[in-house]
Formats: sequence, structure tokens, C-alpha cells
Amino acid sequence: MTTLANAETSRAATSRIDRFGVVIAAFLIGALALPFATLRATRIASGTGLRLFDALPATTMVAVLAVLAATIGAALASRRPAVRLALGALALAALALAAGAAGAHLMPDDNPYARVAPASGFWVALFGAAMLVTDASVRLKLGPAGRIVALVITATLIVGLFASGAWSHLSIVAEYRNRADVFWRETINHIILAAGSLAAAIAVGLPLGILAYEIKAVRDPLINVLNVVQTIPSMALFGILIAPLGWIAMNVPGAHALGIRGIGMAPAFLALFLYSLLPMVANTVVGLNGVSRAVVDAARGMGLTGRQRLFQVEMPLALPVLLTGIRIALVQNIGLATVAALIGGGGFGVFLFQGLGQTATDLILLGALPPVALAFAAAVVLDAIIEISGRGKA
Amino acid sequence: MIELSHLTKVYGDTAVVNDVNMEIEAGTITVIVGTSGSGKSTLLRMVNRLVEPTEGRVFLEGNDVSTMPPHELRRSIGYAIQNHGLFPHWTVARNIATVPMLLGWDRRKVDARVEELMELFQLDHAQFANRYPHELSGGQQQRVGVARAMAAKPALLLMDEPFGALDPIIRSKAQTDLKAIQRRTGTTILLVTHDMAEAVHLGDRIAVMDGGLLKQYAPAADILARPADAFVDDLIGSADRPFRYLTLGRVRAAVEPGVAEGAPLAADASLYEGLGELLWSGRDAAPVIDDAGAPLGRVSLVGIAERAARPK
Repeated sequence: MTTLANAETSRAATSRIDRFGVVIAAFLIGALALPFATLRATRIASGTGLRLFDALPATTMVAVLAVLAATIGAALASRRPAVRLALGALALAALALAAGAAGAHLMPDDNPYARVAPASGFWVALFGAAMLVTDASVRLKLGPAGRIVALVITATLIVGLFASGAWSHLSIVAEYRNRADVFWRETINHIILAAGSLAAAIAVGLPLGILAYEIKAVRDPLINVLNVVQTIPSMALFGILIAPLGWIAMNVPGAHALGIRGIGMAPAFLALFLYSLLPMVANTVVGLNGVSRAVVDAARGMGLTGRQRLFQVEMPLALPVLLTGIRIALVQNIGLATVAALIGGGGFGVFLFQGLGQTATDLILLGALPPVALAFAAAVVLDAIIEISGRGKA
Repeated sequence: MIELSHLTKVYGDTAVVNDVNMEIEAGTITVIVGTSGSGKSTLLRMVNRLVEPTEGRVFLEGNDVSTMPPHELRRSIGYAIQNHGLFPHWTVARNIATVPMLLGWDRRKVDARVEELMELFQLDHAQFANRYPHELSGGQQQRVGVARAMAAKPALLLMDEPFGALDPIIRSKAQTDLKAIQRRTGTTILLVTHDMAEAVHLGDRIAVMDGGLLKQYAPAADILARPADAFVDDLIGSADRPFRYLTLGRVRAAVEPGVAEGAPLAADASLYEGLGELLWSGRDAAPVIDDAGAPLGRVSLVGIAERAARPK
């Protein structure tokens, strides 16, 4: 009897430790051994890494350590997703504030050219905390509205941190300050490239997809051609487009005035448009094909005309799959638009490639982080819309 | 009312429907029965032009259907299928309203018709009108499917294995209900099935198809009594034949003078039900009463057995 009871308690004790929590704890503890911030004499000089204990004022450091310890505790021992989410989010906030505090603490008064940037320890810890938050959100089974609210809160907090000046001593913000005008111009360029080419791909891809669905002979050749386009590397596609667009700009009246050039935004826009066509057309065909045969037969038998059947029955039922195509294309475009800068197409890639040229890590980050955030936000929003659009259609 | 004249459909080298001639009387239920691949569904689908015939014509009230625009023709004919084909993104009420809306009825008339049909098919309007099809049971979905087919009061209703997806108990009730509703509305029904029992239960006339050919087209009793060939005979099943035959007759027809012990039988029950009751209760005879409960006489095992024998 007692042995049985003992076995029960020991099993309960081992099962109380969350396996995923062990991984997160490893990340958070491992991060402490790595440099938390880097101090450099100039923006391109190589720097010295400083661990958490050296990078922060004592009180801040103790507070951050306390939050991390509590987070590790929750990750290992708590089964309640809400607790795990709260502590994960708290850890993210503490890390964000600590990075800013490290900037203020380490920045020397006598050298305005010195730079402080978060280092590997910060990123590893951030990754660990973000994993905890993601895992907890999944376990919480947040609805679409809840996920969008969470996204808005996160975005607001990040904007708030920027506006409050808490990060003003960090080098990435210094890079931003030096180029604020250009940054926003390129942000708009990036969005025009990604969203504009998607809009064009929807306008063309949807009718093409419907055509391929209605006429079987069109389907395979069209999908094959688009598949081939998809396999061309983005750099190569930009290159391929330079010659014909350059020719059009020279020889077609009015084309130049419309902004069509061999290099610049036009080939980038066209390339992204071509890349987006495959997900749009393929998902339109798959979505329409997925509509139950009985439903289509009933629609015909009831006397719906071809057009009524398409717009009242087939398209609404295919909508979740169509939206999935839009989501794939948009997220893909936001990433690919970064490369457009190489041919003068603008976008966040401008900073990324400048940074690469100057070996200025912070400038690279200024070009790399915004598209990542943008793609993430687009994915969350569209996933929520897809889920809502699929309701009631079991 | 409906005339099929030399109707033929050829796919590749195969005639799936081969020179079928039929006349279907208005206000009756005609059941086309056959195995899968017999061409019965194709025959049905040529009536509302879901399939265009290779040769031959279909006349509705004397009008050649090939001269009417297909969508207008289909709106004038009810259509119900296996697995109901309800539109999953529309509520029950919107589904039933499909054809009236296509015909441009005004809102109030549509709403009134939907309510009337839901009552006819025993679906509580307040409870189900705003539900979606996936929230309904299989039997309810099937009833919505038939209600939708009858929404614009079509004179003709085409049904392609409408009860195929239902379990036996619900199927039997759905068949009885359909027959009762048909008797009330006078709708002409052309129904396709592979189930001979269903054909005998529902059909005023039965058309047996095999390999694209119309093998026999006759009232149910004739099909059972005088199958045209070995195939029709097989489809009926020799062991089941006398019992199928009894489902067609009423106890009333076998009443003889006299009295009997035990629970009485209703005069409107089928002879098949009467035989079952007598066998199970171990009686040779039972009293028969009419709707009002007045005694009519008695029915005996011998009397029923005589009516199960092959007609001379």
C-alpha cells in the first residue's frame, strides 16, 4: 500500500516537470553565459562583449535575473498556459527594457560615436522567452479575435518603447535616427512592392484560377509554367526582366512616363507579381475543386446559372483556401521584396545591403527586422481571417 | 405528362441509355430501378438536361425540353439527390428558398413558403430556420433537401437515390412521408433507386433498367407477378417475391366474415404487416377494424396466403 502510494507521488513529481520547459530553461540559463551587450568605439569597429552582470546597473540586473528565474520556474513547473504566457511576456518585456538600460548604462559620455548593441546572450534569451510565449498561446487556444488583440498589444508595446526613448541609446535606433526620412520612404516602398504586387496577382490570378478550374486543358500547362517561374531564383528573375523592361521603356511610348525601367521598382514589382501568381492560381483551383460534387450538382440541378453557381456557391465555399493562397503570397512577398533593393527597387533591403557593404551589423538589422515583423503580423492577421471565413462550413 | 422518346446517351462506344421510350402520367410516382451502371441516373438527368441526350427527345406537357434554356427548365423542375447537396454556407431557410429566390419571388412570399414547407416536413421553423446544414441530423438534412426541391411548387420532382444515405429506420419513415406528401400535393415524381423494396413501396409504376435498356415498365403488381425476363426476376428476388407482393395489398381486401380472438388489425395495414402479426402472435386469424374502430370481420392466414400466390 505504502509502496504504491510512493510510486504515485514519485511519478507525479517527475511528470510535474515540463519537458518543453527544460528546453526553455536551457536557453535562458545558457544566455547568461553569453555576452548580453556589445560596446564598440564606432559603428563599424569590432566590439567587446559584456555579460548581463557587467552590462547593467546592479539593481536592474537583479530585477532582470529575478524575472528570468521566475520565468524558468513557470516554464518548468506550471501547467497553466495563462501563467506561462504571463511570465513569458514579462520576460520579453524585461529583456527589451534591459537592452535599453544597457544602452544607457554603457554608452560613454565622452564618445558620441560609440555604439551599444544587444549581443548573442540577449537574442538567445529573447528566443527562449518567445518560444515560451508561442507555446503558451497555442496551448491557450486563443480564438482569431484574441490573437489579433495580442498582436495589437505587442505592436503597441514595441511602438511605446520606441517612443518613450527607452531604446534611444541602442545602436539600431541610432542608425534609424540618422535615416528616419529614408526609413519611412523605404517602408512605404516595401509595402507598395509586397502588397501592390499581391493585389495585381489577385486581380490576374483569380480569373486565371477560375479559367483553369473550368477548362481542364488549361490547368496543367498553366500550373506547370507558374511552377517553373517559382523555381527561378529571385536574383535571376530580376536579371531576366531587366532586358525586356528596358526595351519596353525605350520603345513603347508612355512606358517610361509610367515608371517602367529596366531597373528599379518595375522589374521588382513584376517579379513579385509572377511569384505570387502560383499560390493564387493553385489555391483557386484547389479551393474550387474542393467544393463537394453533390453541392455543385445540386446547384446545377436547382437552376443556378454558371455565374450564379460560381459567385454564390463555389467561390464562398472555396474562400478559406483562396485566403490561404493570399496569405502564402503576402508573407512570401514581404520577404522577397527585401531583395528588390539590389536592382534599385527600394524597400527595407536598402538598409540591409548598405549594412552588408559597410559591415555595419546594426544597419543590417534595421533592414532585416522590420520585414520579419511585418511578415509575422500579416500571417497572424490573415490566419485569423481564414479561420473566421471557414466557420459554419463543416 | 412526361414523354421520353427514343432517348439515347452514348459515352465513347457505350450506350449508357439505349433507345428508351416511356410515358409518365401526371400526379403519379414512377420509380426507375436498376443496378449501378444501368443508366438509370443518366436517364433521370436527361429530363432536366443535366445530361444532354445523344439522340431522342424529352417532352414535358408536350414541350420539347431541348428548346428551353437549361437553367429556366431546371428552376421549373424539383431536384433532390443522395447526400442532399445542401449549400453548407447557407442556413436551412436560405437553402429551402433557393429556387423561389432565383425566380425572384418577393420576400414575404418566400418566407411564407419556407415556413409552410418546414411545417410539411416536420421541421420546427423557430428551431431550425437559422441553423446550418451541418448542425442537422442526416434525416433532417434529407428532409431539407426534399423541401428545397419542392419549394417553387414544381409539377415534376426528380429524385436521384434520395434516401440512399439514410439508415433503414429513418429511410422507411422518409419513404412513407414522401408518399403521403405526394398524395397531398399531387406532384409528379420520378425517382431513381437500386432498391426493389423501395420501388415497390413507393412506385405507382416501376421502370426496370439494365445495361441502358428499359426492360420492363409496368405497375408494381405486374412487375412482381409477371417479370419480363430473368434480370427483372433476379432483381425482385424469388424468396422475397410473395412478401413484396403482400406489401401492395391491404388487409381490407382479405376480410372475410366471422370473428377471431386477440388484438385487431387495422383495415389499412398492408397484408405484409397483417401476415407478420398473425405469425408472431401464433394465431390463425385476427379481427379487423376500420379507422373508426368498427369491426369489419376477420382476416386469416389462409386468406392472406391465397393473396401471396402468383396471380393466374
